[in-house]
Amino acid sequence: MSIRTDAPRVELLQGTLDLLILQTLLPGRAHGNAIAKAIERNSEDVLQIEQGSLYPALHRLIKRGWIAAEDGISENNRKAKYYRLTPKGRKQLTIETSKWDKLAQAIGRILGPAREGGTS
Amino acid sequence: MNRDFKNLEEDIRNHIEEEVAENVARGLAPKEARYEALKKFGNLLRVQEDSRAIWLPIWLEQLFQDCRYATRTYRRNKLFSAAVVLTIALGIGLNTAMFSVVNAVLLRPLPFPDPERLVAYYDGISAVKAEPFKSGIIGADFAEWRAHAKSFQYLAGYQYQDTTLATATEANRVRSIVTAGDFWPLTGVKLALGRFLPGSESAEGVILSHRAFQRQFGGDTRVIGMTVVLGGRTRMITGVLPADFRFLFPQDRSGFDWPEPDAYVPSPPLLRWDRSRVFIVGKLNTGATAPAALAELRGIQQTNLASYPDRWFAGVDRMLLQPLRERLTGSARQALLILQAAGFFVLLIACANIANLLLARTSARRREISIRVALGAGKERVIRQFFAEGLLLAMFGALAGLLLANALVKTFSILGPAVNPRMSEVAIDVRVLAFTVAVTLLSALLFCIGPVAVLWRKDSRLAVTNRGCPANDGLVRLNAHRLLVAAELAMAVVLLAGAGLMAKSFLILHASIPGFEPARTLILRMSFTKQPYKARGPLISKLDQILTGIESLPGVQFAGIAEKQSYLLQTASGRPAIVDRFDEFLVSPGYFPAVGMRLIAGRWLVPGDAPDAAVINETFARRAFGALDPIGREIAKLGRAVRVVGVVANLKYQNLDAEPGPELFRGYAHNIAGLPAISIVARVKGDPSAIAAAARSRIRAIEPQESIYGIQTLADALSDSIAPRRFNLVLLVSFAAIALLMAIVGIYGVVSYSVTQRTREIGVRLALGAPPWSVTSMLIKQGMGFCLAGILAGLAGAHGLTRWIAGMLYAVESNDPSVMASVAALLLTVAFLACAIPASRATRTDPLLSLRHD
Repeated sequence: MSIRTDAPRVELLQGTLDLLILQTLLPGRAHGNAIAKAIERNSEDVLQIEQGSLYPALHRLIKRGWIAAEDGISENNRKAKYYRLTPKGRKQLTIETSKWDKLAQAIGRILGPAREGGTS
Repeated sequence: MNRDFKNLEEDIRNHIEEEVAENVARGLAPKEARYEALKKFGNLLRVQEDSRAIWLPIWLEQLFQDCRYATRTYRRNKLFSAAVVLTIALGIGLNTAMFSVVNAVLLRPLPFPDPERLVAYYDGISAVKAEPFKSGIIGADFAEWRAHAKSFQYLAGYQYQDTTLATATEANRVRSIVTAGDFWPLTGVKLALGRFLPGSESAEGVILSHRAFQRQFGGDTRVIGMTVVLGGRTRMITGVLPADFRFLFPQDRSGFDWPEPDAYVPSPPLLRWDRSRVFIVGKLNTGATAPAALAELRGIQQTNLASYPDRWFAGVDRMLLQPLRERLTGSARQALLILQAAGFFVLLIACANIANLLLARTSARRREISIRVALGAGKERVIRQFFAEGLLLAMFGALAGLLLANALVKTFSILGPAVNPRMSEVAIDVRVLAFTVAVTLLSALLFCIGPVAVLWRKDSRLAVTNRGCPANDGLVRLNAHRLLVAAELAMAVVLLAGAGLMAKSFLILHASIPGFEPARTLILRMSFTKQPYKARGPLISKLDQILTGIESLPGVQFAGIAEKQSYLLQTASGRPAIVDRFDEFLVSPGYFPAVGMRLIAGRWLVPGDAPDAAVINETFARRAFGALDPIGREIAKLGRAVRVVGVVANLKYQNLDAEPGPELFRGYAHNIAGLPAISIVARVKGDPSAIAAAARSRIRAIEPQESIYGIQTLADALSDSIAPRRFNLVLLVSFAAIALLMAIVGIYGVVSYSVTQRTREIGVRLALGAPPWSVTSMLIKQGMGFCLAGILAGLAGAHGLTRWIAGMLYAVESNDPSVMASVAALLLTVAFLACAIPASRATRTDPLLSLRHD
């Protein structure tokens, strides 16, 4: 990922992009650009993904059968490929989400005392 | 491939167009908008590659590219490529051939059902150590075991007999197997013709091998029900074995080869197997272990022995069970593993030589590599390129190596049975091919590591410069070259030491004994099968006629006949009873000089001797009488006493590989009986093969009915007896010779290379007035420095490693100083020459030319 200095942004943790894509596709299908935009917007622009890195991730998810691709027309009237969640992907999202929650809680617990005493 | 994959480019293009459109909508200029969009997207090509890599491993794609590139490179350097491919072919070919032997003899399961459950019984008396006891179990023991042992699904006994298989028109000497118990169920064989008869213990049937069926009956399927005469007894053919059946069970190596039996007959009632060597094999029940089964057999035998108190038995603690496969492999295991290791040494030396060549070429390719790096190739991509090139070379080498291996394997399977019973199964199968692939990958890795390591170190300095690198850089590489050559030399020393030790054993085995001239001693074998010869009178008169006929042939100096029999039990009077296996020869007096024996006490047998007069050899005298003078003493042999009249010196005329066992000779005239199989031995002067032909036709004229077979010189027969030793020797010597050759090429190459590298320096030295000889001697000294280090390391290694072949040596210590010294001297000489030739060439160039070289 390239280094950007124009805003206080956070790089994605390894492996979390998959989870974010799955979550983004939960309401319905979307094309590549829209997915990237949605992730940025929903994180209130904290998470900035290099848009290119989306594509290897999308292909990885297709290969695992968690999402599927179909042709469609974008809002700007352009031909675009739309990605949607498969039932398997939906199940995976639940698993990944609970995994993430556990991880976040655990890390939170470890960092908790440090944060209380260390802000002076 | 995949739709998603195919549309990738379009999808990305759409993505970027979308972004551009948005940017334009935000009010950016079109050019600016596109720039922003691309910047945001990141590295376009990289994204495409990464996405494609999800579907098709990108390294595979690059590997193809690398291989294409490598092929082009090699096509431009035909000589280099040929040298490398040939070297690697030799290394891989030898190892593949060697492994195919290891595979057939050590790895492949026996061709019987559930082979891992098959065990062989033996008495735990090593045949190698000269122990005084050789035992066998008797039929009664076997019957008891079979009746009571619960650990065995099948228990089978067998004996072998060398006898004559005769039809109305043809007689052949065959090995026949007398089987008892569950022999056929244990083998799981399905007959090609006929069937196993029930209640076969009393049947007068015979089952033929496929070979005998083809040879003597021309493959005529009507043989079932025909009668043959086997060992003077008429039997009916009840079955024919399939062509792929092999008798893979222990046999004493009493003869000169390991014959495949041709006839199988059911045994007479078991109790009549008395005091003879019975081989026992069994198939364990599922879940039974060999130790448990052995414990059970020992228990049963303990009870047996109690009911025959006066019987001799080796002792229950000497009873042993061994997996059948191990029993068959025997001592071949160690020899094969050592030869395989030797093969690996050759491969390592080959790899070192190739690494040297590649290293030298790496510097020549500096510019090319720099350009590739400048064009954006990553470090790992360049290194991968090197591995791909190495792999390609190794693959071509492996293909050529397989051709070589195939030729070797064909040779092995012909030499086969004399070396090891399972050698005839040697073939290149899937497992051998997998081994070849593994070895190919390994060697590619090995000879690429050197150049890659050099590249890795210098990576930071890979820049397009006009010429070379800092001076010490070449030195680093030169040191790598020297290290490789020293390692080659060390390995060559170890191989040569091993080969030298085995060669010395071989020479000792073949050392000439005064009076013994096997190359001039002719042996013909002949069996009597016809009815009239069952009576002694006609037999003796015919034998006398034959003997006179042979003696009167021109070129024959001495001639004699002998019938050999083996006995188990004999007792020497006046001494504690001993049990031993010995060979008895019923001989004509001319047999002794014909073979070339030497009398050391008493007298020879003479015509008209009493029937009980006997001559024994040294081993017999020592075992039976110890320090006592044997002359005039009696030996009780199967109840009949014989009297010793002479002692002959031990002579290895039956088997070169071991000290002779006990031998006893008696006159044939009173003792020969039945339908004997005899050897006619003649000491000849002149061409043995011409005399052999004359002897054959002379015997034909005297006795047209009976067949003569197995005509050969004693030297040939003896050389068969050491076939395994010769096989090991030939292989190890070839490996060592190849290793030596490769090491010489290696030294020569490195010294030449260093001379070329230092042309300028040498030119300067000469120009400044250094005498040429001093430059030459400097180069030789530097070259010999690393050679010496390699040779010393090799001698140290040989000192440690040769003890592993101690078991394969004969009368030679594994650290024999004369062998070690010869190896060191040989290597020092060739190393010196390999250094001196290129070194002397260096100073022959004009100093001015050398200086201009740069």
